[in-house]
Amino acid sequence: MDRIDANLYLNLVRGGAARLGLHRQEINDLNVFPIPDGDTGDNMYMTIQAGCTAAGSTLPEVAKAVSAGMLMGARGNSGVILSRMFAGLAKGLADVREADVKAFSRAMQAGVEESYHAVSEPVEGTILTVFREGVAAAAGSKDLDEYFDLLISAMDLSLQHTPELLDVLKKAGVVDSGGAGLLYIAEGMRAALHGEAAEVLEEAAPAAQHVDLDAFTEDSVLEFGYCTEFLLRLQRSKVDLDTFDETVIADWLAAHGESLVFFRDGSIIKVHVHTHTPGEILNHCQQYGEFLTIKVENMTLQHHENHMDERFKKGRKAFGVVAVASGAGLVDTFKELGADEVIEGGQTMNPPVKRFIDAFDAVDAETVFVFPNNGNILLTARQAADIYDKADIRVIPAKTLGEGYYALANLDTEAGDADAIEAALAEAAGEVATGLVSRAIRDSGNVREGEYVGIAGKEILAAGPAPEEALLALADAMDAGSRDVILVFAGEGGTRSEKVREALEKRYPRAEVILQTGGQPVYEYILVLF
Amino acid sequence: MLRLFTDTDTDITPAVAAEYGYRLISMPYSVDAKTVYPYVDFDEFEPRPFYDMLRSGVLPTTSAISKERYIEYFEPEFAAGNDILYVHFSRAMTVTFNAMDEAVAELKAKYPERSFHEIDTKGITTISYTIVREIGDLFKAGKTLEEVLEWAGTEVDKFAMYFFADDLKFFRRSGRVSGLAATMGTLIGIRPIIYMSQEGKMVSCGKEKGRLKAMEHLVQQVADLGEDFKSHRFVIGHTDAPELAQEVGKMIRERFGDDFPIDYVVCNPTAGSHAGPNGVGVCFHAKHR
Repeated sequence: MDRIDANLYLNLVRGGAARLGLHRQEINDLNVFPIPDGDTGDNMYMTIQAGCTAAGSTLPEVAKAVSAGMLMGARGNSGVILSRMFAGLAKGLADVREADVKAFSRAMQAGVEESYHAVSEPVEGTILTVFREGVAAAAGSKDLDEYFDLLISAMDLSLQHTPELLDVLKKAGVVDSGGAGLLYIAEGMRAALHGEAAEVLEEAAPAAQHVDLDAFTEDSVLEFGYCTEFLLRLQRSKVDLDTFDETVIADWLAAHGESLVFFRDGSIIKVHVHTHTPGEILNHCQQYGEFLTIKVENMTLQHHENHMDERFKKGRKAFGVVAVASGAGLVDTFKELGADEVIEGGQTMNPPVKRFIDAFDAVDAETVFVFPNNGNILLTARQAADIYDKADIRVIPAKTLGEGYYALANLDTEAGDADAIEAALAEAAGEVATGLVSRAIRDSGNVREGEYVGIAGKEILAAGPAPEEALLALADAMDAGSRDVILVFAGEGGTRSEKVREALEKRYPRAEVILQTGGQPVYEYILVLF
Repeated sequence: MLRLFTDTDTDITPAVAAEYGYRLISMPYSVDAKTVYPYVDFDEFEPRPFYDMLRSGVLPTTSAISKERYIEYFEPEFAAGNDILYVHFSRAMTVTFNAMDEAVAELKAKYPERSFHEIDTKGITTISYTIVREIGDLFKAGKTLEEVLEWAGTEVDKFAMYFFADDLKFFRRSGRVSGLAATMGTLIGIRPIIYMSQEGKMVSCGKEKGRLKAMEHLVQQVADLGEDFKSHRFVIGHTDAPELAQEVGKMIRERFGDDFPIDYVVCNPTAGSHAGPNGVGVCFHAKHR
């Protein structure tokens, strides 16, 4: 096949749709955001399917009809971008009766431009990148066969590279879902080019989605807002169609929502935007026209299971982290530091080996660094590591929360292989001094029951009638003045009082004093010096 | 005649702009779906309430301005027969300049006899402020456009900026700093040192324990890289941390003497939305960035 005519073009689109249709659940499962705006696979499929019923006798007519159908059917971020690619193709083919590879290549380039144009802040590492790099690589092909071969291999390569461009993908261990959908479309088009009959799947709507209404309760916070999509027909009675500049709407939307995809096609404006106040968005836009379609979905309600195709799963991530901590503040702190799993546990609550095994499973990484953060728990962690054979488990000998905190804060997974990282972590743990303030539960030596003691290692270094006094005396005994940072986690029984901070700052003017809510039991204060 | 433009991302205030005859392009940020154009929607920037809002957990967003807005800024100048030099913040940090390119292309077709020039300060906030003012000084001293463009060709790369942030979550969110260790989250007490690269990007180049060490790191960078910095502007910028900035200033004085002026500048809210509060940086003339 060396030329694309009206018939073949339609077949290509249908072939692309059919191939995508077979894999759409897989694409849905590639979503990485905690709450995606709809399911990428379904959205892209319904978008391209809306172009498949196009009719026309010439190539420009058919290309335009496909584009118009997709405009009406476009759903979701990737769907809208996809529809713009085909809009660009239609523009590029506007004067072409039969497209040879050169004309098709030019039209594809127009598709790239059109799709970038539709997004207010194009993000690389997405469907846009995959398309652009594929088209760039295929340009200059000698015929259509070669064109699609090069297009597909370059798109595949680009797709595999998307996690390098987008952190969220890397963290989730997946490639970009929109890009993956586009690759299927290109493969389907190639199959159609080679004469494989395309059967567009009958079903237009996706299998009824299970929407869990309980995912948003009376007490839920509207964290993700609403995915709001609509087609607006500009009205002569409201604007002067010839001179109206739609960027006034786009600018306003960009300032009032996120993930904006926006374009105008004739008198129709397509908008996809994430907002907390869809009413405000709709009211504003209605001053320019009337709506053709509107879809508003609470993004917290979307739900799907996970069964990904191995091809798009980038394998297990290389490194994971399991830490042990108790107290809400400390658990959060370790999570913010990058721990994948935090096992609740501590001095009086030693987690069993099984908890570690479960955590290792949940992390699902090649190498897992474990921060036991307690001398009593260190052994349990090592035992779990010995038993576990599904991953390389490295237990960092962090015996206190302070050591674990500082070591984890210094984790740099790009610093070398697992041995080098482990050594660096162990070294960091060794740089920290941790002190604990706790209430004496019986008389011992000079300490009376009910007094507060300051402990470092196994030694009682300070005592006082109130936890704050014991903390200050402990800091002195541990030579806090020689350190750069004095970090204090206030426990259940300790207060995060400014007085404590001020007293420490006054005594140790060279050090930075940080007071955090740890919420840990047993210890009124944990003193971390580094 | 030549008309000078700069933008609010360079920390230049209307008062400073007027001193040099710069016109100011306002770069917006949004909070709670409300877009604010600095010095259009308010006359004076009050850093404390803005950064306190960030401290309380609000994360503003920023957006690129449109082609039309650029045209509104530029067209009256071309129509009046003026040429334009726009000294702007880093192209490598934004897509807004694509819209500007389109605007300029459109205007050039309409006013073919007019010319548009630009100087990319390859930075944002303090470093851009420094370069914009140095350029203003050159014009005041009677330099021609050609001389200034030639100066920029070599000198822009000779202004270095090193800074640290208090909380990485702001930078993490915008993804605008490279080289941060993959796992770095909110590092209590540990401060990454970030510099403005020759490509006009923010790159992490180390970390320090505690504020004092972080401040000492900045001073050490001046000692290691500084070149002829006393005869150029020396600027300390901060995101609502005037005491820290003064402290760094004091350390600079102790190390390098008091025979040169130090300028203190507060970071504009748009760039501050990405940096977060309690950050400090130094900008100085250097061997290289």
